[in-house]
Amino acid sequence: MTKKAARVKTPDNILMALQEAQARSGPLTPEVMAGLAASLGVPSNDVYGVASFYSFLSIRPLGRNVIRVCQSLPCHLKEGQAVIDAIRKALGVGPGRTTEDSRFTFELVNCIGLCDGAPAMLINHDVHTDLTPGKIAGILQKYK
Amino acid sequence: MPQEKVVLRNCGAIDPADIKTHRAREGFKALEKARGMTPEEVISEIKTSGLRGRGGAGFPCGIKWEGARNSPGDEKYVIGNADEGEVGTFKDRYIIQNDPFSLVEGLAIAGYAVGARQGYIYLRWEYSYLLDLLRGAIDQARAAGYLDGFRIEVRQGAGAYVCGEESALMESVEGKRGEARYRPPFPTVAGLFQKPTTINNVETLMNVAPIVLKGGAWYAGMGTERSRGTKVFSVSGDVARPGVYEMVLGSPLRELVEGLAGAKDIKMIQIGGATGRIIPYDQIDAPLAFESYLGAGAITVYNRSRGVLEIVGRTMEFLAEESCGKCTPCRQGTEWLVETLDRFRRGEGAARDIGYMQVLADTMALSSLCGLGQAACSGLVDTLKYFRDDYDRGISGK
Amino acid sequence: MGNISLTLNGTPVSAPQGMTILEVARENGIDIPTMCYLKDLAPVGACRLCVVEVEGSRTLVGSCHTPVTPGMVIQTHSPKVLEVRRVLIELMMASHPDTCIVCEAANCCELRLRATDLEVGMPRFRTRMHYFPVEDENPSIIRDMSKCILCRRCVAACDNIEGKKMFSLAYRGFETKVIYDLDKPIGSNETCRDCKTCITLCPTGALRLPMKFGQEKKGPVLYVKG
Ligand SMILES: Cc1cc2nc3c(=O)[nH]c(=O)nc-3n(C[C@H](O)[C@H](O)[C@H](O)COP(=O)(O)O)c2cc1C
Ligand code: SF4
Ligand code: SF4
Ligand code: FES
Repeated sequence: MTKKAARVKTPDNILMALQEAQARSGPLTPEVMAGLAASLGVPSNDVYGVASFYSFLSIRPLGRNVIRVCQSLPCHLKEGQAVIDAIRKALGVGPGRTTEDSRFTFELVNCIGLCDGAPAMLINHDVHTDLTPGKIAGILQKYK
Repeated sequence: MPQEKVVLRNCGAIDPADIKTHRAREGFKALEKARGMTPEEVISEIKTSGLRGRGGAGFPCGIKWEGARNSPGDEKYVIGNADEGEVGTFKDRYIIQNDPFSLVEGLAIAGYAVGARQGYIYLRWEYSYLLDLLRGAIDQARAAGYLDGFRIEVRQGAGAYVCGEESALMESVEGKRGEARYRPPFPTVAGLFQKPTTINNVETLMNVAPIVLKGGAWYAGMGTERSRGTKVFSVSGDVARPGVYEMVLGSPLRELVEGLAGAKDIKMIQIGGATGRIIPYDQIDAPLAFESYLGAGAITVYNRSRGVLEIVGRTMEFLAEESCGKCTPCRQGTEWLVETLDRFRRGEGAARDIGYMQVLADTMALSSLCGLGQAACSGLVDTLKYFRDDYDRGISGK
Repeated sequence: MGNISLTLNGTPVSAPQGMTILEVARENGIDIPTMCYLKDLAPVGACRLCVVEVEGSRTLVGSCHTPVTPGMVIQTHSPKVLEVRRVLIELMMASHPDTCIVCEAANCCELRLRATDLEVGMPRFRTRMHYFPVEDENPSIIRDMSKCILCRRCVAACDNIEGKKMFSLAYRGFETKVIYDLDKPIGSNETCRDCKTCITLCPTGALRLPMKFGQEKKGPVLYVKG
């Protein structure tokens, strides 16, 4: 019967546990992941395996606000690159990086389903559409 | 050809946060009617309608429901797929933003027909801002007594396009890495937690209530022989009016992109997002239908200033990043294609690589485990056929 | 369960219901190459090397996980199948380092074996390599993940045979990697069970025993021409 045993339902949901942990206390540090593994009774490598699979689970430190700019074609066609450059300039760091003061993490992401308002980005859970380089400073100002 | 609103019937006409406004427009009437029918009758009505899945694969909805209904077992699940990760698609977002109640109603009817007491809606993380609205709609429907004996839970994704693929989605709901499963067994036999499960796209479920109310024959009266009803399109790219449009299936592509969306000077059109087809302007009169081009209805328009290699290259970069990495052809193949297309974009391509791309495309289509790898090269193969010159110009020394 | 009849490479055969295509083929003396498949464990379906042609199917199907059905018409070695398998092996080698000449597993490497079987010549598909430092601190196992072809045998074996699950898959796409703990090198204090199951099963030189110079090798020496 070992044959089927590998695929039966996991009693505890690793993904939901990780999502909750990240919503509660920010990025998934090694301590957080090890703690979750212990409380779920699963190997730490399994927890890490799930955490590292999903783009929005972060195993690296994040700033207080996360900017996620769409890099996919519909946004790219509408001068998305100019917006990305404007953000890089405003923050002083490029995509994949966090500002020195930990105020912002800047990421490029794949299509976020806002192509009718291209170019678009998310800051935390907020939607920002029809971006232009000129709008960036004003938007960023609202996030402390 | 004007728009025809079946799926979007309530969008803009109701307050998405207030069930009363939805009920004023026959909301939940279909659920009540369905519960007065036998589940088999409901399924039969859906089969008569000819409704096919709107998530991309176009599988007949009634047959899927029947399969799950007839699978042995007490515990069954129905899932609404709101992962909407395909590049250039945003119709499901628009639907949930404007009419979450009809989605809840459609899923409840599916649950009744299939014999499931538990439903899930898998909402992509990027749509977190819709969570309250969606949960509010479920709560209001429950409070109004429409969900007795049927529970709906919203589960959030965590940023993975492949989790829109049905088997990866189920892995994700089970809390695991979103890797695709092999089939058979199909989800209708052994799906979520190995129980019989149906998965339907948001838009598919939006069609259910009108079909139950007005009858399958009414629905089947719209569209073409193999593509019944209407389809919601997400139009983006080089168009004057990007947005969501609903048309009867079989409508010409030209009506949509030039007529409704106001595109000019078109070079090519990508239909179905990253895994979709890329066709040149001279096919603009093709009908939008399963038998020609459709996918999930993402239409991205490119004008004459756009380069083929950049579009195909960026598409491949997306797929490589989003590949789950489980199977060899997709994990390794998308990477090789990204690197190779990059060489062509820099003008450093090797002539022999054009042939190798074709060979690899065949292998990926034939042997990949899931639809991502199987369809990853659709646009590449199309453009190699229609825009071969663009590739030749990328060969080193040309 | 009753027997069903099907056609295998043009020959009618009968097989018990529930058997996979691979099992039926092997029973009939046909060798379908596999990489991720392990007898007695649930199939994984990841490597795709075992694909075969089934009449009526749009794609090829994985024989290790697809049960036979009545009337199935199967081709296990058609030109189409062989070409796909060849490309799959090339893709497995695409990011594999060219260090066979100094690899301890060179004489018993399944990747090389399959490449030879399928007459893979100069690989057409080469990608960037993964460079991971060799993990050689542990007294029972050396891991060189640069050589891993992600067949997942070690993951399944440790989990299902030894009940321990030292390894998991992490990341995704081309970055996918078999990891230990929170993607750390296996340290000197990890005791595991020292059962060597994963090392025995690894088709490549990614997992191996710490060996002292002059110790016996796993298999026969290479055949040398002339
Ligand atoms: C890579 C990939 C991504 C997919 N993404 C979605 C998605 O975001 N939403 C969706 O409804 N279907 C998606 N699908 C299709 C689903 O696998 C499945 O066919 C669909 O949800 C079934 O519902 P339907 O029959 O109502 O279309 C995707 C398929 C693949 C291969
Ligand atoms: S085709 Fe790609 S996404 Fe699908 S299982 Fe294979 S690696 Fe994963
Ligand atoms: S380490 Fe060896 S057994 Fe494990 S996945 Fe890699 S190649 Fe397979
Ligand atoms: S042996 Fe069948 S997919 Fe790997």
